[in-house]
Amino acid sequence: MAGKPGTNPTTYSPSMATGKTRPRIFKDHDVDWVRPDGRGFHQCRPAFFRTGAVNSASGSAYAEFGNTKVIVSVFGPRESKKAMMYSDIGRLNCNVSYTTFATPVRGQGSDYKEFSSMLHKALEGAIILETFPKTTVDVFALVLESGGSDLHVVISCASLALADAGILMYDLVASVSLSCLGKNLVIDPVLEEESYQDGSLTITCMPSRYEVTQLSITGEWSTPKINEGMQLCLDACSKLAMIMRSCLKEATSTSQE
Amino acid sequence: MEIDRVDGRTANQLRPLACSRNILNRAHGSASWSQGDTKVLAAVYGPKVGTKKNENPEKACIEVIWKPKTGQIGKPEKEYEMIVKRTLQSICVLTINPNTTTSVIVQVVNDDGSLLPCAINAACAALVDAGIPLKHLAVAICCCLADSGCVLLDPTKLEEQKTKAFAYLVFPNLTLSILPEGSLKVEGEPVEQAIITSVTQGAMSVDDYLHCLERGRAASAKMSAFLRRSLPPQNPSDSSRAG
Amino acid sequence: MGLPDASGDLSSEVEVDAFRRLFPLRFCERHLSESIRPDGRPLGRARDTTIALGAVASADGSALAKIGSTTMLAAIKMEVMTPSMESPDEGCLAIDFHMPPICSPIVRPGRPAEASPVVSKQLSDTISSSGMVDLKELSLVSGKAAWMAYLDIYCLDADRALFDAALLSAVAALSHLQFPTVSLNEDGRVVVVVSEEDGGKLEKEPVNREKRKLTLKSIPFSLTCILHKNYILADPTAEEESIMETLVTVVLDSSSQLISLYKPGGPVLANTSVIQDSIALTRQRVRELQKILDEANSGMEVD
Repeated sequence: MAGKPGTNPTTYSPSMATGKTRPRIFKDHDVDWVRPDGRGFHQCRPAFFRTGAVNSASGSAYAEFGNTKVIVSVFGPRESKKAMMYSDIGRLNCNVSYTTFATPVRGQGSDYKEFSSMLHKALEGAIILETFPKTTVDVFALVLESGGSDLHVVISCASLALADAGILMYDLVASVSLSCLGKNLVIDPVLEEESYQDGSLTITCMPSRYEVTQLSITGEWSTPKINEGMQLCLDACSKLAMIMRSCLKEATSTSQE
Repeated sequence: MEIDRVDGRTANQLRPLACSRNILNRAHGSASWSQGDTKVLAAVYGPKVGTKKNENPEKACIEVIWKPKTGQIGKPEKEYEMIVKRTLQSICVLTINPNTTTSVIVQVVNDDGSLLPCAINAACAALVDAGIPLKHLAVAICCCLADSGCVLLDPTKLEEQKTKAFAYLVFPNLTLSILPEGSLKVEGEPVEQAIITSVTQGAMSVDDYLHCLERGRAASAKMSAFLRRSLPPQNPSDSSRAG
Repeated sequence: MGLPDASGDLSSEVEVDAFRRLFPLRFCERHLSESIRPDGRPLGRARDTTIALGAVASADGSALAKIGSTTMLAAIKMEVMTPSMESPDEGCLAIDFHMPPICSPIVRPGRPAEASPVVSKQLSDTISSSGMVDLKELSLVSGKAAWMAYLDIYCLDADRALFDAALLSAVAALSHLQFPTVSLNEDGRVVVVVSEEDGGKLEKEPVNREKRKLTLKSIPFSLTCILHKNYILADPTAEEESIMETLVTVVLDSSSQLISLYKPGGPVLANTSVIQDSIALTRQRVRELQKILDEANSGMEVD
């Protein structure tokens, strides 16, 4: 019965019957395929942001890109851990974790160390750490549901949460990723596309300053492809930043009423 | 209504109680408590300087560490730790030694039912042995609701598993308390009538629960008397500073 | 705490906010004496409660429950297991409660909150005590395959009443649960059947065509109250709980059976009349919650 986790037998999640819905393999010559959700190649999923999702945090934000749902809470600036040395500038501490039901197959709900450090690096450059010496700002993210491009949603959501917490930043940080599938570049890939991608490119930037805080590329890319991809992402970032900005404005105007 | 119990006891009969104090040399206070084959050892260390994360400048802190008979500590043990801790917190005078931590280590020696009540009784005796100022004593008892609707006291493990519901109840034992009169009165009723802790498992009707409460309360008097007998007569004199 | 007498004189001079911070207990008691709570509720009233079903698309059943600002997300993932020898006709329900670092300033990553194993244990005890889920319904092929339902509850925002909100979301998720249609393949493993369009052309007969939902008997609902002096405050907020420590959680099911009466210590002792009062408050609350759950469920059917 419930409450005997030690004695649980091994379980498996029932997989799809083979041959039923095997996703299409994207071939180079096959240019006419449509994306699983019917978007154009250069079209992002509709983005939804809401600040103030968690009351007990100093600042928080919820983001929803299609099926990707993320909550980010910001705590602090608060006392650094005792073991930390004195520091003239503030510290940033990031953590990304997944719920056990976020992924199609039940996961362990563990921390994602790599995502945590990527998030840290993406945000570090945008925050004015000098404004809170000796203290730490904690940015914790929880992916409620993973629908692809999780990291870039987490990063954008985190910068909104930081703004909600009143942490000084040079600019909002927007992040967009794209996948290379054959010779096509698809922006804001969903989980299915990510699993078939030949390469990926993620840009995190501060659109108003036109500065990039993080750029990561995996897979094989030709230089013109990188240029094309970067331009696409930068354009998408500035649009994304506009949505984020309007969300913040909305939040302040409703609170003033 | 009579009911046959495996060990031939009547429904209201407790298993033989045994309590010995000061059994560990290095602990500031210790006690073992057994009810039939269930036996628990408790040791108290402290009050010591509070360096733990939950130190509080206004109150003393009590931490409880539960050591199962075998194996790793899991969710049930964590819950027991929390229940014992909150129960002990409510009987200790926490304001006397602010900013300190008192550790209570509960070691299960043998589990044959009514484990949590047994542990609370042991911990309470150990606190007394360590001279920790207490408002009053606490006695814990397990009431078990048989299918026929009658209440069995102090069930064995077998009985606990067989019955549909049971309740762990903790009652205050106030006779030696020197707290100001009326400070603990609850709506005029004497405090002995009230419960400190209640944990139930299994579905029962509200009336059955109240019935358990009544029977447990009656039996707790016997246990209180036993607890007091096994402590030296002048014992809770430390708590004279409580008021 | 502090200087109870001095605060009385100061109260007229200092600002409300300062008074609230300096003498939280006094502040609260002043309200209580007027039979009102600092957040404007009467003593016996719980905070606004909402349930949204189907919040997680990747799960087989899910629900988001909010009590005040306490938010819980519960989701069920169904996996297949081989049932044990002792109970070949029964599936399994594994309940886990998580407090991720996002929910509260006191939880840090890598160091799980003290409360989470306790609430987790309470939840599985309550749900098994209530007999709400018949594990036989989780059976697929006797002795061969059964469902293992992983019910995970995440606290997204912790403003106390953790257990109440967690139980509510768990119950709602169970009521929303839909079993995937599955069949056995050649190797004896269970596979999902995607049938909607080509319903007639299934080469394998699904093993659970009829059984798509759980029949929930007697659903348990809970209410946590604070006892302070002679007052009983239903559904306390974090602020109230930080100054008044005695909590009583009563769980009743829809047929008014007592599933759990949970009072872990606390400076205030509960006598019989207090217990009866809190049970009466819970009865009221059960009716409220039942209605909210029914509305959420009927809302789903309309869609």
